[in-house]
Amino acid sequence: MKKFKIRADITAVTVVVFIVCIVLVSVMLMQFRTVEQTDITEIENMRESELRSLLSDWKTRYEEVSTQLADTNERIEEYNKTIEDNEAAAELVDEELTESNILVGKTDVYGEGVVVTLSDGTYSRVYASHLIDLVNELRYAGAEAISINGVRVLAMTDIVDVDTYILVNLQRIQGPYVVKAIGDKDYISTILQLKGSGFVDTVTDINVSLKVENKVEIPKYNGELEVEYMQEVVSE
Amino acid sequence: MIFIAIILGCIVGALIGVNMPMISYSYSGYLAIAIIAALDSVFGGIASTLKKNFDLKIFVSGFFGNAILSILLTYLGQKLNVDIYLAAIVVFVGRMFNNLAIIRRYYLDKWTEKRQKNKKVEAKEMTKK
Repeated sequence: MKKFKIRADITAVTVVVFIVCIVLVSVMLMQFRTVEQTDITEIENMRESELRSLLSDWKTRYEEVSTQLADTNERIEEYNKTIEDNEAAAELVDEELTESNILVGKTDVYGEGVVVTLSDGTYSRVYASHLIDLVNELRYAGAEAISINGVRVLAMTDIVDVDTYILVNLQRIQGPYVVKAIGDKDYISTILQLKGSGFVDTVTDINVSLKVENKVEIPKYNGELEVEYMQEVVSE
Repeated sequence: MIFIAIILGCIVGALIGVNMPMISYSYSGYLAIAIIAALDSVFGGIASTLKKNFDLKIFVSGFFGNAILSILLTYLGQKLNVDIYLAAIVVFVGRMFNNLAIIRRYYLDKWTEKRQKNKKVEAKEMTKK
C-alpha cells in the first residue's frame, strides 16, 4: 500500500478500482450472455441493415438456384425428347423387321388367295417342271406367299425331281400336290385360267383343280436362313 | 482495502451484468473490442504498479479512453469496409502479453530472491554449527 502514496491518495485509488471493476465485470457478463444466446435468438438480435444484407444474400442464392433448376429442367426435357426419338426409331425398326420377316417367309401368314391341287393324270405323273411352271406363273400373277404341301417356297427354294417324288426345300413331298398362294385371288385365278397361256388351260396331261379362297393359311419356313458367301456392297 | 474494493466491485458488477437487458448481437462486436481495451488497461495498471510508476489519471483515462476509441475505430472500420478491429485486437492483446510478461518476471524475480536468501541463511546456520 505504500507505493500508492507516492502519487495518489489511497481512497481515490480504491474508488476508481471499485468503479473499474463494476464496469468491466458487468460489461463482460453482458457480452458473455449475448454470445451465449446469439445462436438461439439470432434473427431477433440483428439490426435491420444486417437482416437486409442477409435477405439480399438469400435472394441472390435463390436466383442462382432457380436458374440452376431451369437449366436442369431443360436438360431433362432434352433427355426425354431423345428418349422419345429413340422409341420412335425402335418402333420403326420393329415395323421394318416384322415386314421383312413376312416378306422373307419367317412367319405364318394368311390372306385371300387360291389353292391349286395337282394330281397324276392317266398318262403322266406330276413332274417338278409342272410345279416350277405353276410357281412361276403364280409369282407372275403377283402372289406374295406360296407353299407346296405345307412347305414354304422362298427365293432360294429348289424344286427337283427325285425318282417318283419331288424335293422342295430338300423336303420330300408326294402327290397330290396342294399349292397355296396368297395374293389378289381374282387376278391370280384369271391369269391361271387364261385361254391359250394360263396354267390350267395349257397343262392337260395331269389333273389340275383351282379353288379360290378368302382365307388361305401358309406356314412359315422351318429351316434356318444362313448367309455364307454373299456380302453387302457398301456404296461410298 | 483495495482487495476488498476489487471483490466488492466484481460482485456488484456481476449482479448488474446478470440483470442488465440483452444487447443486440451487432453491437456485441464493439463491446468485445471495448472489453479487450479495458483488460489491456487493467493489466497495464498492474504492471505499472509493480514498476512503481502507477498514475491514477493515466490509468482512468486509458481505461475509458481506449475502450471508447476502439469502439469508434471499429465503427469507422465498418463504415470504410476495413477490419480495423483486427488491428485493435492485435495491439491490445500484444500489449496484454507484454504486461503479463512484466508481471510474471517481477514475481519470478521475487521468488528466486527469496530462495537465495533462504539458502544463504541455511548456509550461515550450517557454518555456525
